[in-house]
Amino acid sequence: MGRLKAYVCICEGVTVEDVERALEEGFTDLELLKRRLRVGMGPCQGRYCIPILVSIVSRKLGVRPEDLVLPKVRPPLVPLKASLLMEEGSDD
Amino acid sequence: MTSVVVIGGGMTGVSVAHALARRGVSDVKVLEEGYLGGGSTFKCAGGIRASFSSEEHVVLMMRSIDLWARLSEELGFYYERGGYVWLLSSEEQVTRFRELSRFHNSLGLPTRLVDAEELKELVPPIDGQRALAALFDPMAGKASPFEALHALYLDAKRMGVVFAQGVRASKIVSKGGTVLGVETNRGFIRAESVVVAAGFGTRELLETVGFNAPLENVPHHALITEPYEEAFKPLVVDVATGAYIVQAKHGNFLMGVEVEEQAGSRPIVRADFAPKVLRVWSRWFSWLPNAVVLRYWVGHYVMTPDHHPILGPVPGVEGLYVAAGFSGHGFMMAPVVGEELASWILSGSPKSEHAARLTPSRFAEGRMIHEKVVIG
Repeated sequence: MGRLKAYVCICEGVTVEDVERALEEGFTDLELLKRRLRVGMGPCQGRYCIPILVSIVSRKLGVRPEDLVLPKVRPPLVPLKASLLMEEGSDD
Repeated sequence: MTSVVVIGGGMTGVSVAHALARRGVSDVKVLEEGYLGGGSTFKCAGGIRASFSSEEHVVLMMRSIDLWARLSEELGFYYERGGYVWLLSSEEQVTRFRELSRFHNSLGLPTRLVDAEELKELVPPIDGQRALAALFDPMAGKASPFEALHALYLDAKRMGVVFAQGVRASKIVSKGGTVLGVETNRGFIRAESVVVAAGFGTRELLETVGFNAPLENVPHHALITEPYEEAFKPLVVDVATGAYIVQAKHGNFLMGVEVEEQAGSRPIVRADFAPKVLRVWSRWFSWLPNAVVLRYWVGHYVMTPDHHPILGPVPGVEGLYVAAGFSGHGFMMAPVVGEELASWILSGSPKSEHAARLTPSRFAEGRMIHEKVVIG
């Protein structure tokens, strides 16, 4: 308590400190960081946090942001209720 | 002192490297073309079971399960022995699985048939009335592919294993029947021993030394929901459809089902997978239509004709080894595979006779084994 935390990923509660530690451990790829810290695995699926992560990682590694490969986006683009994905009628 | 290059930075490759480092091999390099785990490891459901139908699988997996318990405790990563529940909906399935259970018990694996009442205890939110019975495997469990791989990576790195990511092996170089090293996009890397643990890239790599491994890359699909409070511990399988569902560490439901795919086809998303898997599981879990789906991905099962991996020395090239073709159960086998490959490299033979039966030469020698219980 009393210490300000800077959050990178609010869905999963990942802080800047977490990112810096992971970078030091050798997780320098954005896809690796996603699996290590769960950044981008929450309901926003990376929309809020990945750009912030890119900003931090590019500065820390001295790599241009445009040279960092973004984690793959997976369908569905927004979280969908299962019933919407299930077809009516036919069974298998 | 030997120098080893492991091609493949997934659970198999990293487990082999880790096992070698633990046994004092100081010169181990792991080559990964993308990012560690980016092949099949991070696409898998994380299930761990010994309830197979062949002695080789059961015995090796019982040892692997032992190692899972030890490694997860030592290195502090998530591993839970919540069991597997195989849902049986026909008399034929019940008969088949009753026999399977007898076979398991004869090898010391305590699986047993359970009735609807016990099924409800094991999987509280299930509509158990649809099952005639179920097979319960209490030794089975689950882990997080991310946590497990990362923990092994960090420990291996600490012991001096070098991890080279973004390094793609294109050719295995040998001369006079002995391996010399590996040609990569960053140049030639010399090694006395080379282990090919490259998942779906294995077949192509082995062809560069003229070995035709009977490996087929078959796309498999999986879907995950938002996280929910813990509802059930076991990984549940619907034997009729081959579908599975498991609740991951963070509470998300991960599920898969077989959809018809051609070996060698590109792993791309398809419109029929999500409806199929959701419909299958909605019959067992009436609340599932209200769950929210977060994402869906496609990975590979690297299949062999008998659904057992090819392990050990590659015939014709001294110093070349393979660990691939796990047919959908590579993650769970990785710890024992690491141990066996380390033994092969350091002593010339595997630790167990069961691993010895899984060498790549078994196909040419007519020694195929048959595994009937593949899921997902």
